[in-house]
Amino acid sequence: MRLAPQPKGRRAESLLPMIDVVFFLIIFFMMVSHFAAPEPFVVARPASTGTEAVAGEMSVFLKADGTVAALSGGAVFTGDAALSGLVADRQARCGADCDSPPLLLVHADAEAPAAALAGLLPRLAAAGFADIRLVTVRE
Amino acid sequence: MRIAAGRRRARRGLNLTPMIDVVLLLLVFFMMVSRFGGTQGLPLAIGQGTGAWVGPPRLVEVGQDGLRLNGVAVAPEDLVAALRPLLDQGDTVVLRPRDGADVQRVVAVMDSLRAAGMTRLVLVE
Repeated sequence: MRLAPQPKGRRAESLLPMIDVVFFLIIFFMMVSHFAAPEPFVVARPASTGTEAVAGEMSVFLKADGTVAALSGGAVFTGDAALSGLVADRQARCGADCDSPPLLLVHADAEAPAAALAGLLPRLAAAGFADIRLVTVRE
Repeated sequence: MRIAAGRRRARRGLNLTPMIDVVLLLLVFFMMVSRFGGTQGLPLAIGQGTGAWVGPPRLVEVGQDGLRLNGVAVAPEDLVAALRPLLDQGDTVVLRPRDGADVQRVVAVMDSLRAAGMTRLVLVE
């Protein structure tokens, strides 16, 4: 078999295929990315085997030392102010008395005292959150 | 210093190098900030006003190193077997963290109970 001689004279490889691929990658990452509000502190979520997918817009954070924090309107509220911040955030989302309060995600650190989490739940319930999920990572 | 004599021959197309630089930077940015795999979570029931308690007490105290079922120490691998006779399908099990048990410990117990089909778990203080 005779191969055709390499065409001489092309100084550089054509970059167009690479640019195409890179654009596809960019579009892919732009599509799958969603920009979440930055967390008030780093949370190492507990590992769990029996998890299910959850999606929620409202979050409350529990630090390893038991501090509660919440994001509301771009500001961070900690301690007792976190709950009022959450309530204000919920009212901004669905009015003063919404029939279906949004799902609330609890981002608790794996090393946080579980008693702090247990103590937080009834306060969240009293604040009107009925559906609360603990965010975990797959083991 | 030698300067190339005369004008270089006209390029055939645009110079794409700056655009490729920018595009690669964008690509790296999106790769860095993307988070894959949706959020995973466990439902947390709220132990408030869901009707009268039915059946024998089912209180699991979760310590950092041990478990107690209704006040009696029980080995982690025996917990499910010990709970079985105490509840019907769909009955609630109460979990109470003790002795500074951390969230990971409680989640592990919840996992073992949920794997055994006990999905109504209430975390109380």
